[in-house]
Amino acid sequence: RYVRQLQRLQLLFSPTAADARGARQFVEEAALDFARQHPDVVLYVSPRSGRAPVLLAEYLNGTVREELIASKTSEEIVQLATKLAGQSGLDIIRIRKPFHTDNPSIQGQWHPLTNKPSALTVQGPHLQPQ
Amino acid sequence: LLSAPRWLRSRLTDRFWRVQEVLKYARHFRGRKNRCYKLAVGSVRRAFVKSTKARREKKRFLRALWITRIEAASLEHGLKYSAFISNLLKSQVELNRKVIADLAIYEPKTFKSLAALAQRRRQEGFLAALGDGKEPEGIFSRIVRHL
Repeated sequence: RYVRQLQRLQLLFSPTAADARGARQFVEEAALDFARQHPDVVLYVSPRSGRAPVLLAEYLNGTVREELIASKTSEEIVQLATKLAGQSGLDIIRIRKPFHTDNPSIQGQWHPLTNKPSALTVQGPHLQPQ
Repeated sequence: LLSAPRWLRSRLTDRFWRVQEVLKYARHFRGRKNRCYKLAVGSVRRAFVKSTKARREKKRFLRALWITRIEAASLEHGLKYSAFISNLLKSQVELNRKVIADLAIYEPKTFKSLAALAQRRRQEGFLAALGDGKEPEGIFSRIVRHL
C-alpha cells in the first residue's frame, strides 16, 4: 500500500507584504481543496509578519525542504505543493548506480586462491609415522 | 516603481551570491583556483567541458576494463579472451562483457562453467573443421532458433 512520504507542509507568510499575495490567495481559495485531496498530509497555515513567504515540507525520514513562494501565483503554489507531496525525503543528488545489493556474491567472491589446487590451502591430516 | 532615474541610481547588491554560484563548483580544486573568482571562472568552465566529453570516453574505458578482467579470469581456466568470447557467441550465449566480468568476480563457479562450455564448443569446432568425416556433429554446436 502506498505511504505518502510527506509528513507536514507549513505555509509561513506575512499578511501585509506584497510578495505574499500569491500565498494569501492560495490560502483563501486552494488550500482547502489541496488539503482534501491529500488527506495524509497535515497543512499548517501560520501568518507571521516580517518573514519571506516560504513553504516548509517535512518528510518521514526527517529531511526539511524550504521553498520560497515570493511573487508566485496561486496556481504555481498549488503545483509546487503537489510536486513536494509526490517526492520522498531523499537528497536530490546524482545517484551513482541505479542498483544496490547487500549480498553481491552468492558463490563466494573471487580471491587469488579460488582457482588454485586445494593442496595450497588445505592442511591434510597429520599422519603419525608408522 | 523602477523608473529610469531609480534604475540608474541602484547599486549591485548581490555580487557575493553571483560569485559563490561559480566558486561552489571550484571548492575541491588545487591552488588559487578554489579561492579567486577570476581564476576559478576559467577552471570551472574547462571542468564542465571536460566532464561532458569524458562521458563518451567512460564507456570505452569501462569496456576495456571488463575485457581485461575477463581475459585474466579466462586465462586462469586455460582459455584466451578471443577464444572464450568467440566460442560463447557461437554457442548462442549472448552475455555482454559487463555481466561476464561481474560473474567472474562474484560467481567464480558460474564463470568456470562458462569457460568449460566455451572450451567444449572450441573442441567441437576443431573436430568439425579438421575431422571432415563420418563423426556426428557436436552437441553444443546446434543452433536453436527462438521465436
